[in-house]
Amino acid sequence: MRDRWLKYMLILPAALIVLGTTIWPLAVSLTTSFRDWRLTRSLTPGPFIGPEHYVIALTDDPDFANAAMVTGLFVLFDVTLTVVSALGLALLLRRAGVLQSVTRAVLILPFAVSPALVGISFRFMFNAETGVFTWLAGVLLPPLKGFVWLADPWAALLVLVFSDAWRWVPYMTLVVLGGLAALPKEPEEAARIDGATEWQVLRDVTIPALLPVLAVVAILKTVFALKMFDQVVTLTGGGPGTSTVTLAYLVYSIAFRWYDMGYASAVAWILTALLVFLAVWYMKLILRKPGQT
Amino acid sequence: MAEVILRNVTKRWGGFVAVRDQSLSIRDGEFMVLLGPSGCGKTTTMRMVAGLEEPTAGDILIGGNRVNDLPPRERDVAMVFQSYGLYPHMTVAENIGYPLKLRGIRGAERERQVRAAADKVELGELLHRKPRELSGGQRQRVALARAIVRRPTVFLMDEPLSNLDAKLRVSTRAEIKHLQFELGVTTIYVTHDQIEAMTLAHRVAVMSQGEIRQLDTPEAIYDRPADLFVAGFIGSPPMNLVTGQHSNGVFIAAGGLRAETGVARHAGSAVLGIRPEDVTVAPPDAADLVAQVYAVELTGEAVLVTVIAGGSRLIAKADRAWRAEMGATIGVKLDSRRLHLFDAETTKRLNPE
Repeated sequence: MRDRWLKYMLILPAALIVLGTTIWPLAVSLTTSFRDWRLTRSLTPGPFIGPEHYVIALTDDPDFANAAMVTGLFVLFDVTLTVVSALGLALLLRRAGVLQSVTRAVLILPFAVSPALVGISFRFMFNAETGVFTWLAGVLLPPLKGFVWLADPWAALLVLVFSDAWRWVPYMTLVVLGGLAALPKEPEEAARIDGATEWQVLRDVTIPALLPVLAVVAILKTVFALKMFDQVVTLTGGGPGTSTVTLAYLVYSIAFRWYDMGYASAVAWILTALLVFLAVWYMKLILRKPGQT
Repeated sequence: MAEVILRNVTKRWGGFVAVRDQSLSIRDGEFMVLLGPSGCGKTTTMRMVAGLEEPTAGDILIGGNRVNDLPPRERDVAMVFQSYGLYPHMTVAENIGYPLKLRGIRGAERERQVRAAADKVELGELLHRKPRELSGGQRQRVALARAIVRRPTVFLMDEPLSNLDAKLRVSTRAEIKHLQFELGVTTIYVTHDQIEAMTLAHRVAVMSQGEIRQLDTPEAIYDRPADLFVAGFIGSPPMNLVTGQHSNGVFIAAGGLRAETGVARHAGSAVLGIRPEDVTVAPPDAADLVAQVYAVELTGEAVLVTVIAGGSRLIAKADRAWRAEMGATIGVKLDSRRLHLFDAETTKRLNPE
């Protein structure tokens, strides 16, 4: 009898921590999202008002619509750039060699840099007067001389994408390298002998075989891109205007600048629902038994 | 159709020599088997012909052209892999049609050629399946169809039967032999299985440690092995090899074995070889050697008798009805026309041709 209880006793501490730090706040924020609670008026949550916050967010809030657009564009650019770059780098690093193995070893470093720091360093590098990238872009493409990247809405979004891709590409490259290493080499050799050029081998054999890994990379990156927050704070501050306000940054603004906790919770839950959907899809993909499609 | 010539080909990885200064000439339409234990360089040799490995030194010629600097796609060879090497996301028809697609053959013409190749290996019903829905034997047929569909000048087969079960191996072996006869394409076939080598080849190159030890017809390799390695590698159960002394045409070993070899010149230590089927059980008074029975094994078609004499074991093949107790004393007789004598120092064959 004791053994039966022992296993539950052993996981109890971990379960309590998860309950206290994840489940409980989630539950509180879910109920908060259905209540009227402005910190400027009251320190305790107000009355239940039904799904009103959700209705406003989804139908009648230009700030939410803008943030959803910005987030959507950011995810699209970020995921595309990350997956394509990771695949390209992995293919370059796939061959055995001293240069390749050294590069593989140092590749993990950018991922060790905290995202907030990434934002700050990119902000310096894109500084209008002293930034090294601003200068470099001017040298390589003279029309861009004197261009203030962070003052242009589209350029600022691109800089945000670059900063995040810079941090994630190396890690994703390692994931793709793992996928490449697990591929049998015979189909590629067979294709070479059958008459395929290296490009045709890549297009017809390697990439189709790698699709499950690329899908995992894309979904994982989508999840993290949807939550984009740190670099928005330290790099663009959501600007210029609201051109880089992501959903996560909007939640923060509503809650801690405008003190509307109920509405902030509702927006946070819209984002969470999206993330949960993607996470379930991701789990299905990686837990799938080999051989299934 | 073309002949394949290897001229002083060497392949080295760092300090490891996989293939050492190898020359080999394969005739147009010939079925050449490279036979040897794993690590002997046979697969490396084939991969250099395919263009998947680059020789460190030497020349490779296909149809008279030096192909060293050509990528695999420009060599017009087709290859069948041990683990099939099929494209997992393509159907059987797409797999077989891929070489044609790369050559710009499209539509009905491609379909016709795919079907013809599939019919030749009896795959007609499975064209819309994916490789994972096929058995091992069916997958290997797809690989064969993909190889024959574009009529290459050279077939390369890298242990194509190794992943099949024993029964399927025998029937597929016959199919490969028939296919090669029908198409008349120069074929290089790599295997470690001596039965495959014996049954399929026009000529066999027996390899060991990156070198060809003997290159000849299956009959000659079986009947006149060039050295101790070939003698021990070919044949199942393997040839009996007994170490002893040789002088004036007579071989003598511990335990009382004495045989006239017909070799005049060699004097000194030597190894006598005789295949189990050339050793017969005889009454002790009419025998070449009297020895104790060590083991009796019935294989179905025959009885293998292992006898022990003077510290060495000898396997004889007896009629399948023959029986004896373990430890019994019996006589064995050696077929004097089928004795092989090897120099114990150089391991080379001493018998005249």
